[in-house]
Amino acid sequence: MGADDLLALLPLLVIAAASVVVMLAVAFYRKHMLTVQLTLGGLAIAFISLFAVASVVPRKVTPLIIMDSYALFYMGLIFAASFVVTILSYGYIEGREGRQDEYYILLLLATLGSAVLVSSNHFASFFLGLQILSISLYVLIAYFRVSELGNEAGIKYLILAASSASFLLFGMALVYAQLGTMEFSLIAQRSTAADMRSALLLAGLILITVGAGFKLAVAPFHMWTPDVYEGAPAPVSAFIATVSKGAMLALLLRYFTLVDIRTFGPLFPVFTAIAIASMFTGNLLALFQDNIKRILAYSSIAHLGYMLVAFLASGALAVAAVSYYLIAYFVAILGAFGVITLMSGKVKDADTLDEFRGLAGRRPWLSGIFTAMLLSLAGIPLTAGFIGKFYIVTAGVGSALWLLVLVLAVNSAISLVYYLRIVAALYARSLAEEAVAAPHLSLAGGIVMAVLTLLLVWLGVYPSPFIRMLQTTVARLI
Amino acid sequence: MDKYILIPLLPLTAFIINILFGKSVTKDKAHWVAILAVLGSFVLALHTFTEVLGGKTVNQDVYTWFVSGSFRVSMGFLIDQLTAIMLIVVTSISLLVHIYSVGYMHGDGGYYRFFSYLSLFTFSMLMLVMGNNLLQLYFGWEAVGLCSYFLIGFWYEKKSAADAGKKAFIVNRFGDFGFGLGVIMIFLTLGSVYYADIFSKIGTLQGQTINLLGYDVNLITLIALLLFCGAVGKSAQIPLHVWLPDAMEGPTPVSALIHAATMVTAGVFMVARFNPVFSLSEVAMNVVAVTGAVTSLFAATIALVQNDIKRIIAYSTVSQLGYMFLACGVGAYGAGVFHLYTHAYFKALLFLGAGSVMHAMSGELDIQKMGGLKKYMPVTYWTFLIASLSIAGIPGLAGFFSKDEILWLAYNGGPVGKVVWAIGTLVAALTAFYSFRIIFLAFHGKFRGTREQEHHLHESPKSMTIPLIILAVGAIAAGWVGIPSVVGGSNAIARFFQPVLGHPHVHAGHDEEWIVMGISVAVAMGGIFVSWVFYSLKPGIPRSLAANFKGIYTTLWNKYYIDELYDFIIIRPVKWTAVNVLMAVTDGAIIEGIVNGIPKAIANLSARLRKLQTGYVQHYAMSMAIGLFVIITLFLIAASK
Repeated sequence: MGADDLLALLPLLVIAAASVVVMLAVAFYRKHMLTVQLTLGGLAIAFISLFAVASVVPRKVTPLIIMDSYALFYMGLIFAASFVVTILSYGYIEGREGRQDEYYILLLLATLGSAVLVSSNHFASFFLGLQILSISLYVLIAYFRVSELGNEAGIKYLILAASSASFLLFGMALVYAQLGTMEFSLIAQRSTAADMRSALLLAGLILITVGAGFKLAVAPFHMWTPDVYEGAPAPVSAFIATVSKGAMLALLLRYFTLVDIRTFGPLFPVFTAIAIASMFTGNLLALFQDNIKRILAYSSIAHLGYMLVAFLASGALAVAAVSYYLIAYFVAILGAFGVITLMSGKVKDADTLDEFRGLAGRRPWLSGIFTAMLLSLAGIPLTAGFIGKFYIVTAGVGSALWLLVLVLAVNSAISLVYYLRIVAALYARSLAEEAVAAPHLSLAGGIVMAVLTLLLVWLGVYPSPFIRMLQTTVARLI
Repeated sequence: MDKYILIPLLPLTAFIINILFGKSVTKDKAHWVAILAVLGSFVLALHTFTEVLGGKTVNQDVYTWFVSGSFRVSMGFLIDQLTAIMLIVVTSISLLVHIYSVGYMHGDGGYYRFFSYLSLFTFSMLMLVMGNNLLQLYFGWEAVGLCSYFLIGFWYEKKSAADAGKKAFIVNRFGDFGFGLGVIMIFLTLGSVYYADIFSKIGTLQGQTINLLGYDVNLITLIALLLFCGAVGKSAQIPLHVWLPDAMEGPTPVSALIHAATMVTAGVFMVARFNPVFSLSEVAMNVVAVTGAVTSLFAATIALVQNDIKRIIAYSTVSQLGYMFLACGVGAYGAGVFHLYTHAYFKALLFLGAGSVMHAMSGELDIQKMGGLKKYMPVTYWTFLIASLSIAGIPGLAGFFSKDEILWLAYNGGPVGKVVWAIGTLVAALTAFYSFRIIFLAFHGKFRGTREQEHHLHESPKSMTIPLIILAVGAIAAGWVGIPSVVGGSNAIARFFQPVLGHPHVHAGHDEEWIVMGISVAVAMGGIFVSWVFYSLKPGIPRSLAANFKGIYTTLWNKYYIDELYDFIIIRPVKWTAVNVLMAVTDGAIIEGIVNGIPKAIANLSARLRKLQTGYVQHYAMSMAIGLFVIITLFLIAASK
C-alpha cells in the first residue's frame, strides 16, 4: 500500500479521524457549539480532500475499496448532506434535555459507513460499511430517550435491520460458495458465465436483494419507514431518507453497471415488480396521511421506485439520470425535513398538517421554501425535480420500458394530490390563533434553507452544468 | 450577448424584487424599481436597434434548459430587423405606461402588485419577440396571456373585472389549442422548433398532403392555419374577438400597453415572423387577408354607435389589428409591421388620453355624459386630437403613412387584394368618423355630466401628461420613416424590413398610387366632416338616424349579438349538458363510475393498504418474509424458462 493509496483513502480517513477528534473533545469539554464546529470542520475537510484525491483516481485500494470519480461524486453528495444535517441538528438539539454531543460522533460514523458503501468493491467492505451506518442509526433514531415514539422507532429499526442484515450476510455467503469470490468485478464476470439456474447463486442473489431492499425502503421491505421517520428526530429522518438510502443506491448502481441487469437472469422482472410496487405503495399510502413526516416517508418510498425505473433502463444515460435525480431528491428532502426541523419545538416535532396550516401568514419565507421543496418532489417545471423526472422518463423511454414509464406517469399524478394538499394547508387560513408561535429561527438554519432553495431552483432552471459534471464523473463508470 | 440577455432580464429582476419585497420594502416606491428596469431595457433596445440598422443580425442560443436526443429546450435570441422594431415598440411603450401609471395608480391598494405584473408582462413580451425558437415563442405567448389575465382582473373584487379576466383567458384557449397543434405539427414534420431550421426546411414540405377526415389537406396550409388560430385568439380577430372589449375592465394603462400596443399585436408579429411559411400557401394567405379585412370592417361598424370611450377604442384596436392582418395576407408583411409600430403610439396615446379623461371624470366612461372637456384639460385634448388625426389617416401623421402603404400594396395584390383594398378604404372612412365622434362628444360642446363631476374636472398630473406628450410626438413622427417615394420620401422602413419580411412586387404606376392615396385621404376627411356635422353642427341627426334605421342601430349597438350567439350556441348548451346530462348521469352512477370511481378506487386501495401498516414490528417482518417468498417464486418462474 503506497502513499497514493493512502492519499486515495484520505476522505475516509478524515471522517474517521474527525469522529475520534470529536470523541476526545467531548471527553474534555462538553460544549455543544464546539462539538458542532468540529463536526462541521471534519466534514468540510473531508469534502475538500475529495478534490485532492481526484488526481490519483481511479485506484483500487486493497480489494475492498475502489476510489474512482463515481465514488468521489457520491462521497461529495454524502458529505454535503451530512453537513446540512449537522447544521440543522444544532438548532434542533440546542436547549434540549440530556447529553447532546455524542449525537455528532454517531452522525460522523454513519457518514463514514455511507462513504465506505459508495466506494465498496467487495462484500466485506459492503457489509462493514452497512453495519457502521446501521448501528449508528439505531442509536441516532432513539437518541432522545424521553421520546416514546423515538424509542419505539429505534427498536423497530434495530430488529428489522438486524434481520435484513442477516439475510444479506447469508446471501453473500451463498454467492461466495458458488463463485468463490467476494469482489464485485469478479462476481460480475463469473456470474454472467455461470448457470443462472444454480440454486446457490439464485438464493444468494435473492437474499442480497432483500437486504438491499430493506435499506432502500422499497416495497415490500418498506414497512419500517413511516414509523422510523415519524419517531426519529427530524434531522435524523432527513439523514436516513437521503444519505443512508443514497449510499445503498449508489452501491447497487455500481454493481449493476458491471453486469447488465437486463441480461442478468431473473433480476430484471424482480426489480421491475419492486419498482412498481414501491411507486404505488408509497403514493397510495401518502394520500390520506395527516402526519407530514409520514407523508415524506411514503413519498421517499415512491421516489426510490422512480429511481429504479432509470436504474432498470441501464446505460450511461441511466446512471446520469439516477444521479441527477438523487441530487434533486437530496435537496428537496433535506429542505422539507429542514423546514420541519426549524419548526419543531423542544418537546415534540412539528409534524402534523394542522401545525402547518396557515404557515404562510406567519412565516411567508419558510412556507415559500417548503412549497418549493414540495413542488420539486412533485416534479413541477422550473424545479430540480422536474428535470430529474424528465431524465428518468427519457431513460425509461430510451430503453422502451413502457410499463414502468406508464406507472411512473400515473403515480406522478397521484402524488400531486398529497403534495398540493400540504401546500394548500400552508396557504389556508389558520384554524385558530392558538397555533403555537413558531420558534425562533437560527441564522445558520435560515442560511442552509436559503442555499438549498437556490440550489433547487438553479438545478431546475439551469441544469446543463450539473449534467455535464455528471457525464464526466459518474457516467465514466460505464 | 450579455446585452441581449439583460433586455428581458431587467424587468424580470424588477418583478422578482417587487413581488417578494413589495409588501414590506418597496411599497409605494415600487415604481422606481420597475421604471429603472424598463428604462434600462429601453436603452439597450435602442442600442440593439442601431446595431441592426448597421446590418448586424444575431441568431444565437443563450442557454440550454435540457436536451434529450434531438429534442432540445433552449433559450436563444434572434435579433433581426423585425425583432429590433418590436423591441423599440415594447420597451418604449412599456416605459411610458410605467411612468403614466405612477400617477394613475397612485394610492391603489395593490400598487406594488400592479408594477410587478407590469414588469412580468414586459419580460414575457420581450421573451416572445426575441426568441429564436417556437418553444420560447410559445412560452412568451402563454406568459403574456397569464399577465393579461392577472391585469384584467386586477381589481378582482369587482365581479365584472374577474369575469372579463376569465373570459379573455378561456377564449384564448381556443386559439392557443390550434397554435399548440401547429407547433407540434412543425416539430413532427420538420424535426425542429428553431426558426432557422424551420424556414430553411419548410420548402421541402411543398406539395405534401396529410389525410384529415378523408380529405387530403396541404401540409403547409394546415400548419399555417393552425398557427394563425393562435394569432386569431391573441390578436382578437373574428370569431375570437369577444374578449378584447371586455378586457377594458382592467386599469387603463394596462389597456394601453397590453390590449393596444403590444400583446395583441403578438399575433401579427407571429404571422410576420413565419412569413416564409405563410407565403408558401395561397389558401392560408387568403384566409389571413379576408379574416383581417372582415374583422376590421366588422369592428369599425360596432365602434360607430358605442358610448363607452374605452370600448370604442377597443373596437378600433380590433379593427386596426384586422388591418395589419389584411396587409400580411396580401404579402405586405413589412407594411403590416409598419402599421403595428405606428399604431402602438397613437393607440397607446388614445388609451392613455381616455385614462386621463376618466381620471378627471371620476371613472365616468360614457361619452354622452362628457362634453366640453377641451377647456379643462388642454394637454389631454390636444394629444387626443393628434392621436385621432393620426388614426384617421390625415397626411403627415404616422397613421397616414402606414395605412396608405397597406392600402396601396393591397390594391396591387390581385383579385383578393382589390376586394380587401375596397374594404380597407371603407374602414378608413368609418375609423375617421368614430374617432372624431369621441372628439366632438367628449371634448367639444357643453358639459353634460353632473354638477359634482364638473366641479371636479381638472387636468391630470405631470406624470400622466408627459407620457401623453411624448406619445403625441410618436403619433406624429413615427411614420416619417416610411414616407413613400411617390411623395418624395425614401420609404426607409420598407427597405429596412426587406431582408426578413420581403416586399411584394408592385406593378401599378405612380398615377394609380396618387389615386389610391387621394381616395384614402378623401374618405378620411369625409369621415371627419360627417362626424362634425352629426355631433357638432346638427346633433339631432344621429338620433333620427338611429330611429329610422332601428334594426341596424340595435344590431350594431349589441355588437352583432355575437356574445349572445356564443352564449346561445356554446355556453348554454355546455351548461345545459352539464346540468341535465352529466349531473343526471352522475346520479345514474355511470360518470361516477368513471370520473369519481378512479379516485374512489384509489382511496379504497389506499385505505386497505393502510390497514397493513399496523405498527406491529412482527407484521413488518412478516411483510419482508412474504416479499422474500414472492421474489423466490418470481425467480423460479423466470429461471425455469
